[in-house]
Amino acid sequence: MLDLTQPQFVKHAVFHPFEGFEDLRWKKAGKLSYSVLIVFALFVALIAYDRWCGFQFRPLPDSMFSVVPYIMRSVVYFLAWVLGNWSVCTLLDGEGTMKNICIYSSYALIPYIVSTFVNVVLSHILIRDEGVFFTSVYYIGLIWTGMLLFSAIKAVHQYTFTKTVIAIVLTLIAMLIILFLAVLMLSLFQKVYVFIYSIYTEILYRVRV
Amino acid sequence: MRSFVKKHLLRQIASAGLCVLMTASALASPVHANEPYDVYNYNYLGEAVPSQAGYLAERAVSGLDLGTTALKSPSDLYKDADDHFYIVDSGNNRILKVNPDFTEIIAELTTFTMPDGSKTSLKNPKGVYVSPDTGLLYIADNENGRALIVDPADNTVKMEISKPASAVYDQQLTFLPQKILCDNAGNIYIVLNNTTKGAAMFDRNGEFIGYYGANSVAATAEVIANHFWNAIASEEEKRRRARSTPTAFDNFDIDTEKGFIYTSTSSGSTNTDIVKKVNPEGHNLFGHMSNYTWGDLFSTWYSGVSYKTKIVDIDIGDDGSINCLDSTTGRVFQYDEEADLLFIMGATGDMVGTFNAGSAAAIETKGANCESIYVLDSGKGTITIFEQTVFGEIVHDATALYNGGYYEEALEPWLEVLKRDGNYRRAYLGIASAYYNMGQYKDAMEYAKKADASGRYNKAFERYRSEFLKANLTWILIAVVVLWILWRVGSSYLKKRRNKALHTASSAPADSQE
Repeated sequence: MLDLTQPQFVKHAVFHPFEGFEDLRWKKAGKLSYSVLIVFALFVALIAYDRWCGFQFRPLPDSMFSVVPYIMRSVVYFLAWVLGNWSVCTLLDGEGTMKNICIYSSYALIPYIVSTFVNVVLSHILIRDEGVFFTSVYYIGLIWTGMLLFSAIKAVHQYTFTKTVIAIVLTLIAMLIILFLAVLMLSLFQKVYVFIYSIYTEILYRVRV
Repeated sequence: MRSFVKKHLLRQIASAGLCVLMTASALASPVHANEPYDVYNYNYLGEAVPSQAGYLAERAVSGLDLGTTALKSPSDLYKDADDHFYIVDSGNNRILKVNPDFTEIIAELTTFTMPDGSKTSLKNPKGVYVSPDTGLLYIADNENGRALIVDPADNTVKMEISKPASAVYDQQLTFLPQKILCDNAGNIYIVLNNTTKGAAMFDRNGEFIGYYGANSVAATAEVIANHFWNAIASEEEKRRRARSTPTAFDNFDIDTEKGFIYTSTSSGSTNTDIVKKVNPEGHNLFGHMSNYTWGDLFSTWYSGVSYKTKIVDIDIGDDGSINCLDSTTGRVFQYDEEADLLFIMGATGDMVGTFNAGSAAAIETKGANCESIYVLDSGKGTITIFEQTVFGEIVHDATALYNGGYYEEALEPWLEVLKRDGNYRRAYLGIASAYYNMGQYKDAMEYAKKADASGRYNKAFERYRSEFLKANLTWILIAVVVLWILWRVGSSYLKKRRNKALHTASSAPADSQE
C-alpha cells in the first residue's frame, strides 16, 4: 500500500487534504531538502508576483523594490511558524518533531506558490476587467494552503480538530512574540555594535594623538 | 592586444572631441542659463526629481527702475485686459499703472474725486482689480475701511462700498478689504481678513448679498471628536466648547473667460482647500477629488529642508493655467487647467529670480500661452519677470493640445519634451495617449509603462490583445488542437507501455511457477 516515491508523496499530500499528511506520517515520508526547496520557491514566487506580473496588475512600482520584505515574508515567517508551533505543541503533548513540522508545513505551502505562479502567467493574458479570474486563483491557492496547513498540524501532532485550532492560534501568538524578540535582539545588537565601534574609534584617536 | 590599443586610442580621441564640444557649448550658452536654484518637478510617487526650467528670471524691476520712488511694501499686482499692470504700492498709498513692457509708469493714482466733488486719497490700499468689460478700477482701500470703484478716465469715484449695515454682516466686525474682484455679472467680491465665512459679496449696486465660497473644515480626528461631543452636549456646554471653524482664504483670482473664481489659502494649519475652483453657486470644483496637491509635497523639498507651503496668491493665465505663489520658499507653482503640475520656479535669496523669505506677495501672468510670469516681492519692493524658455513653450503647446483632446497633434511636442527632459512624466502619458488614439497599441503600452500608468497600460493592452487575437486566432486554435492530439496520443502510448511492463512483470513469476 502507498509505495510511492518522495515526489509522489508530495503530490499525494497536496491532493489529499484530509488523509495525505496522515499517510505521510504513517509511511515516515517527506524530505527536509524538499522543504528547503519549497520555501525558496515561495521566496521566488513572492518576488515574481511583484516583479513579473503583467503591468496592468503590478502591485508595486519598480523603483520601490527591496529584497528584504520578501525574505521576511517567506523565510523568516516560515521559520517563526515552525519554531512557534514546535514550542507551543511540545507543551501541548504534540507528537511532531521540529523536522516533521518543517516538512509538513512546507508541503502545505505548495498550492499557494503554484497559484502565485499561475497568476503571474495569467496577468500577462488578462485585462483588469477580467481580474476576477486572477483573484479567484489567488483565493483558491490561499484557502487550499490554509486547509493543508491545518491538516498538516493536525496530522503531525495527532491532534483533534479543536486542539488543532487552539494550537494554531497559540502558534500565531508565539510567532508574534518570536518576531518581537527578534527585533529587540537586532536593535540591541546594533546598539552593542555601535558602542564597540565608538570605543574602537576612541582608542584609535587616542593612539594617534 | 593590438585591437585593445586601437580601442583605447579611439576612446581618447572621442573624449577629446567631447571636451572641445562641451567647451564650445559652454561658451555659446547665454549668461542667465544657470538659475540660482535647483529646478525640480514631482514624479508620480511624489518624489522631487531634477527637471528642466520652464521659466527663467529675466530681470527684476524696482520703483527706481520705473522712474519713481522706491516701492514700499507693495501688496498686489494686477494686469488688465490691455496688458497694463497695476502695482498697489501700499506703503506709499498709491497705485501705479505701468506699461506692458514694465519700463515706464503711465499713471500714478493717489487721489480721486468723490461724486460730491471732494477729493479723497487712499490709505494703505491692499488690492486692485480692473474689470475687462467696463474698464472700471476696483480698489480695496484697506485702512479707510472701504472699497472704491473708480472710472480711470477722469479718476472719479463711481461707487464707494463701506461696512454693510445688513443684519447678515456682524456689526462687531470691522470692514478692512484685502483683495477685491468683480465677476462678469458685475457682482463685487471682497476678501476681508476677519471672517471665515468667505468673501463678502456685493451686487452691482453695492448692496451686500452675503458671503461667497467659504473653505470647508478638514475632517481631522479632533474635528470629528468635537462634532461627537457637540451632539451630546447641552446648549450651555455647547456655547463654551471650542468651535471648529474653517480657515479663511486670503486671495483669489477670476477666470474672466469661464467665470470661475479661484481662491488660495495661506494658512499653515490646514491642507484642505488650499486652492479652490469655485463655481457661481459657491461650490468648490476641486473639492471632490483628493488627488489634487498644491505646492510642495510632504512639506519637504529637493535638498531636504523641511517647511510648509504657504500659497499667498493665485493667478489664472490666459491659457487656463493656475499659477500659485508660495511665500515660504518664494516658489511659483504652475499647474495646467486640470491642476497637473507643470513647472516650479523661484527660491528665497537675493539674486534675480529669488525672493525674501515670506515676502513674495503677488503673481500675474501675461500672454496667451503664459509667456511671462510677474512676481511681486513686497520686502524687496521689486517685480521679478520670468520669461518662458523653449522647453516651457514646448510643454505649454503640448499641454494645450493634450488638454484640448488633440492627442495625436500633441505627439510631436511631447516627444520633443522628452528629448529635453526624460523625467517629465506627463510627456510619457501624452505619448501613450497619442499612440493609443493612433492605434499603435504596442507603443502606447511601452510609454504607459514608462509613465507607471497601469490604468492606461491596461486599456492599451486590451486593444493590443484583441488585435493580436484577431490576427492570430487561427494559428492559436491549430496549435491548441495539435497539442491536444499530441497529448492524447502520447498518454495512450505511455499507458500501453506501462500496461505491457506490468503484464510482463506479473506474468513472469507465473511462468516460473509452471
